[in-house]
Amino acid sequence: MTSTRTLAGTASACPVHHGYEPFDQDDPFPSYAALRAQEPVMFDERIGYWVVSRYDDIKAVFEDWETFSSENAQAPVRERGPQARQIMEEGGFTAYSGLSARVPPEHTRIRKVAAKAFTPRRFKVLEPEIRANVVRLIEAMLARPERRGDLVRDLAHDLPTITILTLIGADVDKIGTFKRWSDSRSAMTWGDLSDDEQVPHARNLVDYWAECRRLVAEAHETAPDSLVGDMVRMQAEGDPISDHEIASVCYSLLFAGHETTTTLISNALRVLLSHPEQWQCVVEDTGRIPAAVDEVLRYSPSIVGWRRRALRDTEIGGVAIPKGADILLLMGSANRDESRFEHGEAFDISRPNAREHLSFGFGIHYCLGNMLAKLQTRIALEEVARLAPGLRLADHADIHFGHNLSFRAPAAVPVTWED
Amino acid sequence: MPKVTYTDHTGESRIVEANVGDSVMETAVRSGVPGIVAECGGSLSCATCHVYVDEAGLASLPPRAEMEDEMLWGTAEDRRDNSRLSCQLRVTDGCDLRVTTPATQV
Repeated sequence: MTSTRTLAGTASACPVHHGYEPFDQDDPFPSYAALRAQEPVMFDERIGYWVVSRYDDIKAVFEDWETFSSENAQAPVRERGPQARQIMEEGGFTAYSGLSARVPPEHTRIRKVAAKAFTPRRFKVLEPEIRANVVRLIEAMLARPERRGDLVRDLAHDLPTITILTLIGADVDKIGTFKRWSDSRSAMTWGDLSDDEQVPHARNLVDYWAECRRLVAEAHETAPDSLVGDMVRMQAEGDPISDHEIASVCYSLLFAGHETTTTLISNALRVLLSHPEQWQCVVEDTGRIPAAVDEVLRYSPSIVGWRRRALRDTEIGGVAIPKGADILLLMGSANRDESRFEHGEAFDISRPNAREHLSFGFGIHYCLGNMLAKLQTRIALEEVARLAPGLRLADHADIHFGHNLSFRAPAAVPVTWED
Repeated sequence: MPKVTYTDHTGESRIVEANVGDSVMETAVRSGVPGIVAECGGSLSCATCHVYVDEAGLASLPPRAEMEDEMLWGTAEDRRDNSRLSCQLRVTDGCDLRVTTPATQV
């Protein structure tokens, strides 16, 4: 009944915001279109952010990192409550950001080390293992006599999590724990939680950060063949990076390294299965999968909005922006801007310029894991097309998305199939 | 003015006038040269600005740095001895560089 609620919300609440509800992710796209048309740079006093919705403006802000700092990218949207703050202080929680909210020259220095550890050669060797994991997960789902599954729970939840834990050298038997910590990070940073609701998440963040530090300490002892092991070795060989910074990169990768890929795989199957004629094209010619993945990234990005802060008085799209202003860039809107994408609201895997989407950002903070995310999604689609070409969305599948400022993740993608 | 010649995989060439200090990738993107995608905008993260450099020009270029070399293992079309990422190649005064773009970047 969310559609009713959304419609009512759009009609009655806040015509001044063009229907935009910062944390409501079920269907933000009509409000994005209204923002682009009516107020492409809008101050939203409910969150204290300037909301930017046109493609060219967003790309220009990403590109101009000297004016628009990423320092607020990991700041809690809702201020931390006193209990949460106390739990985190007493628990020794000193993490803020691995890379995304760091700024040059520090960002340049740390990213260089992280990038050297996180190379195509490192993850390409995992391709057979990733494929075997997809096959195992899909076959387990298809073995259910009731012929019903949920692609989030049954496939997308585990697949990228196993991969990143393997790369980092963390315990792959603790998928559930790492996912719980990630959910807490997402809720604590980009959610809309009350002080009381923050408490269990604050405890999780303390444990999460302790595990990051433990991984670094362990790597000093055991010199493992892993991403953390590589970074510790680089440090020993003279690369300028501290243990706290390596732990912070782990804090980053243990979140960004699976959370958004879980969403991408879920969205890829959700959107393709809801366009059965295009799913059929993919099944008949799996060579079309890379282009389909780019179109999914454009049409339904895992992250729909990302933050920046103006370091001086400036302007965006002709609108004056004061020094210190917080800015929310709606990539989910940029990706449907008609000035860049013809029939931008339509999903079309044959679109020639889908790759111009801004879902991985642009410029110095461009998503480090973009290639790994696309690799895993391609493999997932190839194997689902081969093993379950007749898969379809369950009838009356009413798919909802979690309440969040930035992350637009489906809670479930219910599917069914014939024998 | 320095110039860069981009030849695509079918053999069709475009000659583009370039500014000293710009990268070969930026020069291509600004002139709408097809065959160079440059998704990440030059941050050594996507390997979609891969080019094969004409043997004559190869010697005039500084060698690959470590990270460029690593990223070249992630290109869509296999790397060769003359493979470079065009975001790392700077246009210099009087340069007349010739590069070939691969059949695909993704």
